[in-house]
Amino acid sequence: MAARTRLPLLFPRNLFPFRSQKLVHTDVSVKEPAYPPIVPSLTAKSKSARRRQIEERVKKICTSSVEDKLSLITRIQREKFVVYPQTFARNADRWYQHFTKTAYIPGLPEKFTPGLEKTTAAVPGIDDDAFADIRSLVTRVILQEHWQFRKRKPFMYRHQEQVVGPFLRSLVSGLTYSLAKYNPLLQLSSLDLSPQVNFYWRRGQRIIPKGHRKRHLEPTRFQIDDRPHSQIRVTQQLPQFMPLEASHAAEVPEITLRPNVMPLFRRQYDNNIFTGAKLPDPACYGHTQFHLVPDRYHRDRMIRQQQADQVEVFLRANALASLFAWTGAQAMYQGFWNYEDVTRPFVSQAVITDGHFFSFFCYQLNTVALSVETDANNPRKNLLWGTESLRLYESVQDGEVVGLNDGVVKLLVQFFMNQP
Amino acid sequence: LNRNIINTFFLYPLYQLGNPQLRIFRPSWFLTLVRPGKEQPQDTVQFRIPMEMTKYDIKNYLEKIYNVPVGVVRTRIQFGSNKKRNHLNQKVKQPDYKVAYVQLALGQTFTFPDIFPEKERAPAEGSMEEMQEKFMEDEKQRQKLDPRRGGVTEWFGL
Repeated sequence: MAARTRLPLLFPRNLFPFRSQKLVHTDVSVKEPAYPPIVPSLTAKSKSARRRQIEERVKKICTSSVEDKLSLITRIQREKFVVYPQTFARNADRWYQHFTKTAYIPGLPEKFTPGLEKTTAAVPGIDDDAFADIRSLVTRVILQEHWQFRKRKPFMYRHQEQVVGPFLRSLVSGLTYSLAKYNPLLQLSSLDLSPQVNFYWRRGQRIIPKGHRKRHLEPTRFQIDDRPHSQIRVTQQLPQFMPLEASHAAEVPEITLRPNVMPLFRRQYDNNIFTGAKLPDPACYGHTQFHLVPDRYHRDRMIRQQQADQVEVFLRANALASLFAWTGAQAMYQGFWNYEDVTRPFVSQAVITDGHFFSFFCYQLNTVALSVETDANNPRKNLLWGTESLRLYESVQDGEVVGLNDGVVKLLVQFFMNQP
Repeated sequence: LNRNIINTFFLYPLYQLGNPQLRIFRPSWFLTLVRPGKEQPQDTVQFRIPMEMTKYDIKNYLEKIYNVPVGVVRTRIQFGSNKKRNHLNQKVKQPDYKVAYVQLALGQTFTFPDIFPEKERAPAEGSMEEMQEKFMEDEKQRQKLDPRRGGVTEWFGL
């Protein structure tokens, strides 16, 4: 007989407390409590918050496209040291080596055979007839500028601009077009006349001595704004001269003094990074730059005034700064920046001349990570190879070029023929 | 009026075409070598120079009189402050002076010597100074509290 129990009219939830499935003894899977990751705050006024802000910014830059990267890196304007490639400061090349973490190697890499031999030894890819053609082209250009044109005496301190400038322009364009049939890279190249090359980077830090930001650490910022006489940009990158790991052993001069003692001056304006063409241009890699020496650079006067060593220092500093800016801008255009170091070396060449004397330089950019945080464990160094000044020709007499140096012409041709 | 100046010019020596090269023999300008306040590179020497001198004057002065090979010279004028006031509340001006930074040529370097080196003052044996030093040291040692108290004064305690 069913027991008649007095059940309530409304059933509360807990009426039969021991009848639910939940209390049956089974192996219930224990869920680990999932907490969000404990990170420092983003907006607090603390050092860890500042560090997190910097990390977030770095992550944001890493995940954006190249144009956004460039604009985010160069967005904030602050006082920076303006580095002029052509500077008369003493020992400028040591200072610039320190700023750009470059080691100087005298002479050119093994690829370019010593160019001071008098014989027309075969340049790879050029036979003797072609070399003779090139030679005659060079003599033609020299005679055209210095003999055939009836030029009035150039204005004071305008000799380089009015005489050597057009000579170099015609020489470079003539050589490019005639060597294009031997070097397929030059057929797709772009020859810029008087382009702008800009680069912005940070290196080293200092403690601010005075002001409302006293005792804070401030990174030293640098900017190079350069206008080479002409440059050749190509679509493919030039091969490296030395593997990346081999640059660990190179020596870079360390200078503990502040750059303003050099003397170097600070200004605040737009931070620009530019190779000579805008970002979508297919010819984004650099081949060769040509620089003219300024009018106030008088080699003989410097030697007379016991500054013979500064003659080469000036040229080296010029090549260093210009090529570092160019290769750095090329690397930035490919998306490498301070926190994402280059995976392959960027290579460019430069020729600096004052009409008679030619100096050849090769630069290999192995690292773009120069700021304090990234430089702490960075063994890579950038490399600059360079020659002394070599005379192209002695003089022009009676419609003849006297003493044309074949070695220099050969080096020029080798520079143009450099291809992957 | 400074009567000690010998190479005063009535007006500055205005050059006109055909004038001979201006030469000053035995100039009455004197340079003072000073220790740089901020760190300078090895080849830089700092001078205080009279206001009338220019960069070319310094170059010629050092090269001709002292045979020092000079690379490049940079000058600046330091303003002497006019802020302090004396007991009559008048402004007192500290004189302005010109500073020249001379970079030496031919790879030469210069460091400013230490003019006031620290002297080890060890008093001579058996003298008054030594006995006085010892006495003072003993007194100081006696005045010090027990080191086991860890710097706590005598007043705390029983």
